[in-house]
Amino acid sequence: MNAFFKHLLIQFKMDIRERGTLMTYYLVPLVFYLVIGGVFSSTNPLAKQTLSATMVIFAVTMGAVLGIPSPIVKMRESGVLRAYRVCGIPGWAVLFIQAVSAFLHLLVVSIIIFFTAHLVFGSSYPQSLIGYSLALFILLFSSIALGLFIGVTARSQSIAMMLSQAIFLPTMMLSGIMFPVAMLPKAFRVAGHLLPATYIMQSFSGLAFMLRCDIDATLSLLIAAGIGVVVAILTVARFRDMEKSV
Amino acid sequence: MTDESVVSVQGLIKRYGTITVVDNISFEVNKSEIFGLLGPNGAGKTTTLECLEGICKSDGGTMRVNGCNPQLDRHKLHQTLGVQLQSSSLPDGIRPGEAMSLICSWHGLLPRFDLLRRFGIDYQNKKQYSEMSTGQKRRLHLALALSCDPAVIILDEPTAGLDVQARADLHDVIRELKSTGLTTLLATHDMAEAESLCDRIAIIINGQIATIGTPAQITSAGHAETRITLRTKINCLLPGRDIGDAHFIKQTGDYGIWLCRDTAAAVMELLKEVQHYGDSVEDLRVERPSLEERFLELIEGSVQ
Repeated sequence: MNAFFKHLLIQFKMDIRERGTLMTYYLVPLVFYLVIGGVFSSTNPLAKQTLSATMVIFAVTMGAVLGIPSPIVKMRESGVLRAYRVCGIPGWAVLFIQAVSAFLHLLVVSIIIFFTAHLVFGSSYPQSLIGYSLALFILLFSSIALGLFIGVTARSQSIAMMLSQAIFLPTMMLSGIMFPVAMLPKAFRVAGHLLPATYIMQSFSGLAFMLRCDIDATLSLLIAAGIGVVVAILTVARFRDMEKSV
Repeated sequence: MTDESVVSVQGLIKRYGTITVVDNISFEVNKSEIFGLLGPNGAGKTTTLECLEGICKSDGGTMRVNGCNPQLDRHKLHQTLGVQLQSSSLPDGIRPGEAMSLICSWHGLLPRFDLLRRFGIDYQNKKQYSEMSTGQKRRLHLALALSCDPAVIILDEPTAGLDVQARADLHDVIRELKSTGLTTLLATHDMAEAESLCDRIAIIINGQIATIGTPAQITSAGHAETRITLRTKINCLLPGRDIGDAHFIKQTGDYGIWLCRDTAAAVMELLKEVQHYGDSVEDLRVERPSLEERFLELIEGSVQ
């Protein structure tokens, strides 16, 4: 256990030293949040209500889906996984520590957004903090699982980047965080139902802000969690295969 | 496995699909010995080492590393075997002290900063792995491999890409480790390195051991000839000619160069001839065939 926490601490510090990770976990999401938050809150006063939720979904999805895969592919390509393996560091620990470290960084960003959205843009605090926390936890879990899955699946960093964009961009456009889902053409609405962020947005709206939802908020939370669990299982299975070849 | 042997490989077989990469390899490595594995690319030496490291499953044969089966006792293996891989790396952002803490904590040990100091790595320095030179990285990996105080260490191309000074420094370290009783398995492409460092060498070609022995045994077993280079005061033997067993090949300045199989007889014949002309020897060099020549001879033989 001591080794696990020591490894986690070192990983957390390395993430902060790594310029690319710092950009995708902190800098870009927070700058985007400040710009878009300003635009949304001035052009559409209704958007203020759920601003902290939409911006948290954006930040977490960006950090997890764009930030996690490349370091994992790089670890495999450069022989870090191999070096860890011959030194007796278990493979599961490497993957799990990446996930926990990402969780902590993205949680910090989410907390920053949660508090500053009210102070800077005057957005509403959620009516249910428990509902908000639950939705945030499932958002972090499912997004990190997706990021890890891309990382263990992609053969190279460029493929990882393409896969990440293939998930990140539709998430921004189709999950209801930029525009209401009802405004989208039917085909896009259906496509949006494949993304966990769509269900997370519904969960935040229904469980945290007590707004009317297109899909039942609790059911949405369960679907998002289910997607996360399935992706996490696939990630572990793929990682086991990958370990044999490093 | 003899009482002395720390590493034992018997009839090792490894296949990838229908291709047999390691074909019935057997060797033993004794305590404090530096044992070299030489071979062309794809010969099977890295696969052999990977089986010993426990990261590759063998398809046949038995292996023992300090009494432990690498395929079954992975946890015990990590406490007795240190590995420095050529193709391994560490995360760019990690610092040497952190890397040492990390590895030692997974072994349940206190960090061995003394090893970093010993190999000239300033562990208090804020330098990250990506900012270290190739030589520093190699020394760091060696220190990490030694952190669990292993009985056996595997070094895969430890000096590849190093400059002459860094190479010499690392050779000194490897010799120093031998003097402390550490058993070393060294895979290398560098024949001079193998010849100067290894007590015994196995040359692997096409997944099989082509020859095994001390560098002197291996070089003397081939068909390559010994080269005799001679300069005399009044150049009595130049322009050159065959003298007894010694076959003249060329003249370079005041030096004549002969090749021979029976070195002692050839040298005697040459000296007798010099004496016969009332000349005297100013410089005489006898060079036995190098390991590289013997290695190339074995490869040519395997191709034919």
